[in-house]
Amino acid sequence: MNDTILVVGAGPTGLSAAHGIASVGRKVVLVEKEDRLGGAPILSGYAKLVPSGEWAKDAIGRMVQRVEQNQLISVFKDTKVTQFDGGHGDFSATLSNGQTVQASAVVLGTGFTHFDSINKPEWGFGTFADVVTTTQVEQMLVAGKIACPSDGRAPERVAILLCVGSRDRQIGREWCSKICCTVATNQAMEIKELSPKTDVYIYYMDIRTFGLYEDKFYWKSQEEFGTKFVKARIAEVTIAPDGKRLLVKGEDTLVKRPIVIPFDLVVHAIGMDPNEDNPEIAKVFGVGLEHHGFVDRGEHYTSSFASTRPGIYVGGSALGPEDIDTCVSHGLAMAMRAVGDLEARARKAA
Amino acid sequence: MPIHEKSLIDPNQVLSAEKLVIEGVDVSGHWNTMILPRTVADYDPEFQKKIKALPGGENVHRCWQCGSCTNSCTMYAINTDFNPRYWIYCTNLGLQSEIVKDKDIIWQCVSCNKCTNSCPKDVKPEGVMKALQHWLEAEGHVPVSQSTQFDQEFTRQCLERGRIEDSEVMFNFFRKTGVDIVELVKKGWLGVFVARMNNLPLLRDGKLGKFIARLPITGPLKMGWMMLFKPRTRGWGKTGTVLQTYLEEQKHG
Ligand SMILES: Cc1cc2nc3c(=O)[nH]c(=O)nc-3n(C[C@H](O)[C@H](O)[C@H](O)COP(=O)(O)OP(=O)(O)OC[C@H]3O[C@@H](n4cnc5c(N)ncnc54)[C@H](O)[C@@H]3O)c2cc1C
Ligand code: SF4
Ligand code: SF4
Ligand code: SF4
Repeated sequence: MNDTILVVGAGPTGLSAAHGIASVGRKVVLVEKEDRLGGAPILSGYAKLVPSGEWAKDAIGRMVQRVEQNQLISVFKDTKVTQFDGGHGDFSATLSNGQTVQASAVVLGTGFTHFDSINKPEWGFGTFADVVTTTQVEQMLVAGKIACPSDGRAPERVAILLCVGSRDRQIGREWCSKICCTVATNQAMEIKELSPKTDVYIYYMDIRTFGLYEDKFYWKSQEEFGTKFVKARIAEVTIAPDGKRLLVKGEDTLVKRPIVIPFDLVVHAIGMDPNEDNPEIAKVFGVGLEHHGFVDRGEHYTSSFASTRPGIYVGGSALGPEDIDTCVSHGLAMAMRAVGDLEARARKAA
Repeated sequence: MPIHEKSLIDPNQVLSAEKLVIEGVDVSGHWNTMILPRTVADYDPEFQKKIKALPGGENVHRCWQCGSCTNSCTMYAINTDFNPRYWIYCTNLGLQSEIVKDKDIIWQCVSCNKCTNSCPKDVKPEGVMKALQHWLEAEGHVPVSQSTQFDQEFTRQCLERGRIEDSEVMFNFFRKTGVDIVELVKKGWLGVFVARMNNLPLLRDGKLGKFIARLPITGPLKMGWMMLFKPRTRGWGKTGTVLQTYLEEQKHG
């Protein structure tokens, strides 16, 4: 039987899986379509991660380094799987660079795609330079300067709009992206730290800073950094008569009044879409997708992280919105499952 | 468009007239009633800071609008316009005009602290009600309350002389709050008070000598003397001025 396991995608999930598999002495072929390893936190240049507070390039950098230095792991960047055949224990994958890989099992850590705010034109992204997304704010935080893209001024007032591209039937996105509340409350603190004169307002329908993120991010942001929380789902972002500031329009449901409030910078807390490659991934690997478009699970409890095809495992944000900590544990769990299933097959054959 | 929540219409937002000109357009004959929009057009971040600086307002920014305070509130049970949750929200966003609108109810808080005991974020809503009352008073939105007037007289004497003179405090307090002392003696608690200080039954029983012997004489005499000569605590010197400066500093952060 073939000793190699194919891992697709080198984000937190894939990196954790690859290292897990190698740690029990199996070989790994890691295929990543981009020219760098690390997934979204590296590709989109995130600043400090929640909840550890470590810089993404350090934290995820360590995961990348650990994988790149491992003799048992062969890494292919700028590469995809174009053709895939065989069955559990005996798969054959053709890569876009023309090489063929023989593998006994496959781990999909193919992740998510950021919601593209262009799909909510009423919130001004793409129309007004000073409407940005949380990924852009992450990049500003890395650069150490919060500024309005239009003219570089430091914003007096920032509005963060939650649930952009999530929880919205209008655009067919009926899921909660799980991490954006925490990321937004954290960014509000980081903005205040960099620019103490800036006031940050968060417009919310619910605040979902789950588990231990509650006091560490939501409470702290409100109580120690003065972040204001306004219960309103914004209807529209337009430009103020001065041609400079933005007007955020909506209904404040707690005072039951319409609001039209001026802001310097408007931030979309963008959600996590299914990986835009998923239709292709489903076709190439022969796995099913669930109705939102994320990769489907086989069974939850006795066959965790199974896809709908035996011998192919899936975890992390390929399954649905997840935070990095969860992705890392999914990666390890998949390593356990992939190797464990192969061992069981070998025992049975013997 | 139908009006879904009539309760949201403020009487002072309703324009009603025989002749009505709106933004230069004469609409008389078509409509005689218009409701002005009630859009919130800005926040005032300074307002929250002011309330936080007043005693009781320190934790107002912690509120997450769960409504536990309002739900447990003694006054809300009687009058649903008494809504601590709402005022706290308006404070945090700086919607001062909403607070001013409710100036005649906010003071009704009975300090039962049920809200304080039910608040999951430890906002101490009762304290916020106090802070809001003080702000309303300080800004002249409501007349200065009797208890504040008492405090003011008390403090004034302390600062001036390092001591207070009870009868002078009461006298000035009655004068400032417009209380008719004669009426108060005749019909009010002051009459009862004076009567209890003197042993009236003795008088009724014709025991005049005993009655006079028990009359409180030195006390009132001393009080009168002090009211006239206003003695200061020995060595008070500039202490009052220093205290006054300190108080001002505390007040204005
Ligand atoms: C603005 C923002 C901030 C965030 N901040 C935090 C935070 O501070 N803390 C936290 O815990 N989480 C955070 N998250 C969530 C975090 O980004 C995800 O949990 C994490 O990136 C998911 O890891 P993953 O490996 O499953 O997927 P990804 O990070 O998406 O990695 C998937 C990898 O697979 C590759 N890939 C995709 N398709 C293919 C294919 N067909 N073939 C080959 N390779 C492929 C991709 O190029 C990518 O490298 C944030 C999310 C957003 C949107
Ligand atoms: S985590 Fe918060 S911002 Fe993100 S979709 Fe869920 S509720 Fe909305
Ligand atoms: S202290 Fe005041 S606000 Fe609080 S419950 Fe009692 S009456 Fe209501
Ligand atoms: S109980 Fe506390 S947190 Fe809840 S609305 Fe009242 S003040 Fe705010």
